[in-house]
Amino acid sequence: MRIHLQNFKKTFGDTTVIEDMNLTVEDGEMIALLGPSGCGKSTTLFAISGIHKINGGTLHFGDKDVTNLPAQERSVGVVFQNYALYPHMSVAQNIGFPLKVQKLKTAEINARVGEIAELVQIGNLLDRKPMQLSGGQQQRVALARALIRKPDVLLLDEPLANLDAKLRLEMRSEIRRLQRETGITAILVTHDQIEAMSMCDRIALMKDGRIEQISTPTQMYESPASHYVASFLGNPPISFLQAKADASLDLGHGNALPLPIGKAVQGELTLGIRPEHFGPQHDGPKISGQISFIEPQGREDLIDVMLPCGQKLRAIAPSGHGLKLEQDISWGTQMDRLHIFGADGTRL
Amino acid sequence: MNKQKLLGAAFISPALIAVIVFFLVPVILTVVFSFTNMSTSTGILGGEYQLTQSDLDDLSGAGVSDEAITLLQGAGYAMTDESLTAFETEFGKTRADELAQKFPDATFDSRRDMERALKELRTDPLRSTRERKAAAELFRQSILGQRYETKDDFANAVSALNISAADTQPLTEVAYTGWTFTTQNFELLWQLPATWRYAINTVIYVSLTLVFNVTLGLFLALSTFFLPDRIAQTFRTIWFLPRILPPVLYVMMWQWMTWDQGFISSLLAPLGVDRIDWMRHSAVHGWTVLVLINGFVGASLGMILFSSSLRAIPQTQFYAAQVDGAGRWQQIRYVILPQMRWPILFITSYQTLSLLTSFEYILLSTDGGPGRQTEVWALAAYHTALSNYGGNLEYGLGAAYALALVIIGIILSAIYLRFFNFRELVAKPRIEQ
Repeated sequence: MRIHLQNFKKTFGDTTVIEDMNLTVEDGEMIALLGPSGCGKSTTLFAISGIHKINGGTLHFGDKDVTNLPAQERSVGVVFQNYALYPHMSVAQNIGFPLKVQKLKTAEINARVGEIAELVQIGNLLDRKPMQLSGGQQQRVALARALIRKPDVLLLDEPLANLDAKLRLEMRSEIRRLQRETGITAILVTHDQIEAMSMCDRIALMKDGRIEQISTPTQMYESPASHYVASFLGNPPISFLQAKADASLDLGHGNALPLPIGKAVQGELTLGIRPEHFGPQHDGPKISGQISFIEPQGREDLIDVMLPCGQKLRAIAPSGHGLKLEQDISWGTQMDRLHIFGADGTRL
Repeated sequence: MNKQKLLGAAFISPALIAVIVFFLVPVILTVVFSFTNMSTSTGILGGEYQLTQSDLDDLSGAGVSDEAITLLQGAGYAMTDESLTAFETEFGKTRADELAQKFPDATFDSRRDMERALKELRTDPLRSTRERKAAAELFRQSILGQRYETKDDFANAVSALNISAADTQPLTEVAYTGWTFTTQNFELLWQLPATWRYAINTVIYVSLTLVFNVTLGLFLALSTFFLPDRIAQTFRTIWFLPRILPPVLYVMMWQWMTWDQGFISSLLAPLGVDRIDWMRHSAVHGWTVLVLINGFVGASLGMILFSSSLRAIPQTQFYAAQVDGAGRWQQIRYVILPQMRWPILFITSYQTLSLLTSFEYILLSTDGGPGRQTEVWALAAYHTALSNYGGNLEYGLGAAYALALVIIGIILSAIYLRFFNFRELVAKPRIEQ
């Protein structure tokens, strides 16, 4: 089901959290609302679910206007960060609850609970209480409960935040598998860029109640719309350098990069160079500096380079490079992957 | 014992002493008292030995022979040192001396003979019949009405009347005015129709008030839970007022509301309703007012406890219930109430037990009336033991009432714990597999 949020506005008391936001999620698509805490992503999710009222704008599920419908009358499934399972009900009762309140027959509820439990692979745990389950199992129960009604949209609010690292990996692919198998439209709220990039078809990166950029993970990584987007994606993060565009991109103290082809740039700029695009293994224009830090990562090492101008550049070098601290280096930069941001932060 | 344990014992000892002095000792005393016939007439310390005229009727029932009874009744009149001394203090030495001189050590079979002897006084005659009657009485040789401090004194007095030793034992029992150990309190409780009336009253009172209490408390907690915070707070404060009001004032306000010149009557009078005492007009009026008086106070406690346990349920569970499609009523029915089992159990059992034993609001309002139709068990215990119209406070019987209440309370709490599956409620959660 296509979800369409138009001119969405949300206020809490006198504070406007979100103003004039537009978001379209295509049928069967999984989209991530990514951003730091307080950017309004959970608020958006709660507004779509109907838990919070929408103060302005419209919300459509398909062709149906659900703007003023209470949560009970919208067809949404939500997985909460703490799963919000009912502690006094068994797993089967938890999963069957959305059907029970619809007053379906017990036999049908049981059949559908069994079905969905098989899908999320907890068929053997149906008699347990939530307290007796591990975090990952609780997560599966929450997913099953959200999916059993075959909702129009599945909303996931930081679903992996409470899991340990290993389970997080497992559940990441598990949630994606379920979403693919059921073909449900899904919205994932997360502050973790890796989650967003690995699980979703598209990412909507939010900042201060606005969507900064919405595109596929690859697009967003390769052509960030702004300084903010570039800084948010990527691990290790992108390095930014202050530069002055003239005949060249002058970094000061003898370091300079040629002007990019086909771009008219002038004045004070910010350059964004991802660690994987700078290093001893790269050709292209050189930047010189001194190694200030080496962080071995196994397959490759993370190296901080201090430029003469006092700015820092991060590089990834394959291990076995033999480099030492305080060694002077001059490494190549991949010019075609260089990001240039204007004074207002937008990419040129 | 190491230092820490000693310190622990030192810290707990004041509480332990308080429990023993203020709880254990009263309970034990209640048990002891309930097996005695202690009352105002027996005193609480012990007694004397005294036979009265009215005791004579009971004697044959107690196994005293007729012969002994006759001896007790007609022991005659005699000139003894004691009787002469008593006569001397009342009627003067001249007369006493003359009497002693004229009838040394004489005995008389009847009062008429004795009075005839008194007529013989010449120096200072007793002229009026009334005086002679009173004087004759002083020479009467009988143990009836006489107080004896100890059992031996009484036994001596009895044997002086030539009563056989076999009769002395039952006589002593009848004559003893102090308290004795007995099970008759419980027999009496079982037999008295009033006891059953009180028991039924108690059941009516406790169950009606309990239902009112818990339901209203739950209703208030739930309704204020869904209200905005500040309004809810104001509401709860208002409902809490009866509890912080002194009971006497609180009940006085109810009295003022309900008496025949009071608020309700005055309000209804223009509508043509007769002015009546809304509290004591009939048993139904009495019960209604009692349930309301107690219920409003009790409900506030439930409300506070239920409110706080409601707020302990994570907000996301309500969110989840909403998106699961549960309406407000379904949220209450399926999400809230099952998780409120423990506080509901607590309030129910706590209120049951406190309602069983508390009677201050009834005492202050209807005092068991009209008639004895709202007299509950605890109030009956109080009335029997500490405040009754007859003036003879029956401590023993009252203690028996109280003991019955203690036993019922213990049985009830056991049932409650079983019924609500207490063990499962406090079981530790098993996390992981």
